[in-house]
Amino acid sequence: MISVGQPFAFNCTLPPQTLEEVNITWFRNTNKIPISKNLQSRIHQEQSWILFLPMTQRDAGIYQCVIKTVDSCYRIHVNLIVFKKYWCRTSRKSPTNLSDEYIQTLHFGKDDSLTCHLNFPESCVLELSKWYKECKEIKEERFNSVGMKLFVKNVSAEDRGMYACLARLTHEGKNYTVLNDISVDVRKLEYGVPKITYPRNNTIEVELGSPLTVTCNITDFRDNTNLRCWKVNNTQVNRYYAQSKRIREGYESSVPLEQYIWYTVNITFNQVDLEDYDRPFVCHAGVSAAYIMLKFPVSDPRAYLIGGFIALASAVLSVVYIYHLFKIDLVLWYRSAFLSTGNIRDGKLYDAYVLYPKPQSGSQSHNLDMLVLTILPEVLERQCGYKLFIFGRDEVPGQAVASVIDEMIKLCRRLIIIIVPESLSFGLLKNTSEEQITVYQALVQDGMQVILIELETIKDYTDMPESIKYIRQKHGAIQWSGNFMAEPQSAKTKFWKKVRYRMPAARAPSSSCRTASGRMSRN
Amino acid sequence: MGQVSARKEPLLGNIQDISHQVWLFQDQTLIAVPRKHGVVPVNVTLIACNYPETLEKNKGNPIYLGLEEPQVCLCCRELEGQPTLQMMKQNILDLYHQTEPVKPFLFYHNQNGRTSTFESVAFPGWFIGVCSKGHCPLIITQELGSIYTTDFVLSLLQ
Repeated sequence: MISVGQPFAFNCTLPPQTLEEVNITWFRNTNKIPISKNLQSRIHQEQSWILFLPMTQRDAGIYQCVIKTVDSCYRIHVNLIVFKKYWCRTSRKSPTNLSDEYIQTLHFGKDDSLTCHLNFPESCVLELSKWYKECKEIKEERFNSVGMKLFVKNVSAEDRGMYACLARLTHEGKNYTVLNDISVDVRKLEYGVPKITYPRNNTIEVELGSPLTVTCNITDFRDNTNLRCWKVNNTQVNRYYAQSKRIREGYESSVPLEQYIWYTVNITFNQVDLEDYDRPFVCHAGVSAAYIMLKFPVSDPRAYLIGGFIALASAVLSVVYIYHLFKIDLVLWYRSAFLSTGNIRDGKLYDAYVLYPKPQSGSQSHNLDMLVLTILPEVLERQCGYKLFIFGRDEVPGQAVASVIDEMIKLCRRLIIIIVPESLSFGLLKNTSEEQITVYQALVQDGMQVILIELETIKDYTDMPESIKYIRQKHGAIQWSGNFMAEPQSAKTKFWKKVRYRMPAARAPSSSCRTASGRMSRN
Repeated sequence: MGQVSARKEPLLGNIQDISHQVWLFQDQTLIAVPRKHGVVPVNVTLIACNYPETLEKNKGNPIYLGLEEPQVCLCCRELEGQPTLQMMKQNILDLYHQTEPVKPFLFYHNQNGRTSTFESVAFPGWFIGVCSKGHCPLIITQELGSIYTTDFVLSLLQ
């Protein structure tokens, strides 16, 4: 569609373009006489072009271009519709469908340009003279005309509208003007990286074996060609699970919104497998990526297992603790309930040999005598029925000390050593041959169990003999906690329970220690 | 092998260059002509390649590029020692569903600001271009500058 009064040119090209020698001739309609090749003629042919300098209303119609090559011939028909253009006269505006307007787009907020398209053979010299907007010449500094282009800085919405470019065409010394109308629209273009709104590198609790579908939500700008997909191990899930198809990617859906497009892509697990846990499944959208990671729910079998184990362990620990607390009572109760009374047939005569520092003067010495000669026999012998060998009470006078100890210790099941703080025992336990022999016998020869009783708290063992230190380390010591009154002692106090616990299990004659009061009442 | 991909349909859009010339399919050739009333630009089809990790990074999205009607795809082949842009009768989805990238049909679509370039994956450094004076067939070229325009504006039909 061409407007009247303007120069017009049309190029006849043979597609596909060949390098062959071609002969092109233009004809009007079915006229046998070709279009003139005289450059002065208003309508003439120049190389493959047909030129109208200028176009008139009468030139409308069908033209044909005949292309002859060595072995073929082509005929191209061109229908020229000519109309009168009323530039800048809005009352007589041409209908849009009969318009030769160019359509161009400027991009909002950017520096952009319009182009004046002038398509003429090289014999025509073209010079762009003016740009118009809405019929007014453009003179603003924001616009800059260079060559065939009009550069527009910082495009705004007001830049849309009807533009025109005016050019001077010189051909064979004659001047013509070409006026192109350009309808300009302004379009907003947004570019940037896609945003993944879900997932957000989060975990999902899911039962083993259950189905699962997760949707990746993406917002991306219009006109993007980004790939959106789910990947595992840097491979698309559909390819990774190509055989089993256990995990599949769903179809992508898109919803165009005003500013951007909202996309969703699903990933579906037919059945969540053990290998799916703690492994990132990554949703990709162009350069953006975000993952989900599957986790066992809090009430999963593994958690039960762990919980059960913890409960069992704490129960075992509690039992051990309670046993430790009541060990002595339990053992004493067991002995009284189940062990038979009567003499143990081990060839021993005494249950314990009592070793103590030699009596000295003073209250502590009195206390020691009280304990060894009164309280010990009272509780262990009379109440509990044990038989003790107390040196200084039970030996036969006149016997050599060494031989007495040597013989007697072999007849005893336990060795009870009573120690007092250093000030009292100094020089006694350390040097007396009796103690040395006893301890030696007990530790080396018989492997006898030793019961160490501290009369008072002994803070410092450094000056004690090595044997005593060893015994304390191996068997521990029992701290005397009673008083030294002549009043009856009960075998059921904590101290005596500890002593009895360390004494032999079976003894004669009674099964359990009688209470002191009971005994006293009988006497 | 079954269908790997998630997309059912390729993207549809129009491409014009920065001189406001649209792509037109005429006489079996793809040419760029000034956009006017009555000039119907060809609808291009685009679809992202499924295997971007196997191709060069930071060059843009590797995409297959074709026309909606006729159903052809753009491809780059060497012809008489020269990389040449051709149109092959080809369903773009068939390329998309291949288990490997089909390099002659692939272009790196690089969106830089408002413009896009389409660089051949088979011939790196060669871009789809049109002659600046217009009414020329599309080619691929290494000459980025005044003779050829390689900057285009892609508008998708949503």
